[in-house]
Amino acid sequence: MTGKDIIKITLNLVVIYIVGGIILAAVYAWTSPIMYRNAVIEKEKALKELIPEADRIEKLGDWSIHDKHAEYFFAKREDVIIGYIIQSFGKGYSSYINILILVDKDFTVRKINILGHAETPGLGDEIEMDSFKNQFMGKERKKLKLVKTETTDYIQAISGATISSRAVTEDAVRNGVDFLIKKIRKGAEDETVEHE
Amino acid sequence: MKQSNTNRYLDLIKNGIFAENTIFKLALSLCPSIAVTNHLRNGVLMGIAVLFVQVMVNTTVSLLRNFIHPRIRLPVFMLIISGWVTVTDMTMAAFFREAYKQMGLYIQLIVAFASILARAEMFASKNKVAPSMFDGIGMGLGFLFALTIISFFRELLGKGSLWGYPIIDVKPLLIMILPTGGFFTVGILMGFFNWINMQYAKKHRSS
Repeated sequence: MTGKDIIKITLNLVVIYIVGGIILAAVYAWTSPIMYRNAVIEKEKALKELIPEADRIEKLGDWSIHDKHAEYFFAKREDVIIGYIIQSFGKGYSSYINILILVDKDFTVRKINILGHAETPGLGDEIEMDSFKNQFMGKERKKLKLVKTETTDYIQAISGATISSRAVTEDAVRNGVDFLIKKIRKGAEDETVEHE
Repeated sequence: MKQSNTNRYLDLIKNGIFAENTIFKLALSLCPSIAVTNHLRNGVLMGIAVLFVQVMVNTTVSLLRNFIHPRIRLPVFMLIISGWVTVTDMTMAAFFREAYKQMGLYIQLIVAFASILARAEMFASKNKVAPSMFDGIGMGLGFLFALTIISFFRELLGKGSLWGYPIIDVKPLLIMILPTGGFFTVGILMGFFNWINMQYAKKHRSS
């Protein structure tokens, strides 16, 4: 390899890396605000969809599960609290499942909504089906248990996707509800004082 | 002259779809062809993403073929590929949010596709821009075609649905959406594809 080769190789790499970097920076500058805006819109829509009758949904605080940051909210209608929403994560088969849970004031689950996951397509992703999600309607804390047999009292696992079903039921939802119960029951007295 | 050019481009496209089909003939990029094809939509979107990357990479490599020093051509090809894959990745994340949530992981994996690097090295680095572009289109369409067929059968047989819409009530063969079923499908289709090719060749020879 001659000196000329070395200079040519260096020049090659420098030019190509700089041009590549500039193109990537330009595309990033163009797409990242759109991505961020869509994420915010999507989150607001997801909250609203969960409890359409609320006229105000406000953030109550932050918490973390599996070292992931999550938030919880209260939903009000004409200044009366009608429910709480908590975001939670469950450790599934191949990903962390991101879920929003709506609970009544007595901490009965009313509805859940899956925000994101990367479970096996065709098996684990059936947690997104209404037939699975609707099982959570009206379940109290102690009924949040996964069973593999046919049931209406507890949550029935999806066949072929027990791990994903368990992650949703016992990891994400149950832990989220537990946290809310602990947090809101404990803070209930200060809250009422603060609001009046 | 113009006519012969058009014919040549058509031949390049046909070559990519049939004679040198990435999956059925060259048996390259088999990992993604099994990983994403349990859902028709995922298979088609993956095929489109690969088509775009393949065309852009071939064009770029061909444009730069006289500028790149032969000793460092592979690192430069890799940079070009990863650059275009990142562009695809960011664009999909911004505009196709729903699909990206399921596909995101595999889109980034296009960087490691043997078929794309192989085409850049074998074809684009030795040919002019226009043929390289059409070669990219042919190879990309061949990949899209293969993924569409594989995911069609796997979703239909494994889930009883197509593009997420239920077609039949039952799930005839749950195994089809598992990786095992992917190997079966690719193997059977590969055999079928080659059998048709052989019949076609035989007929041509006898007539």
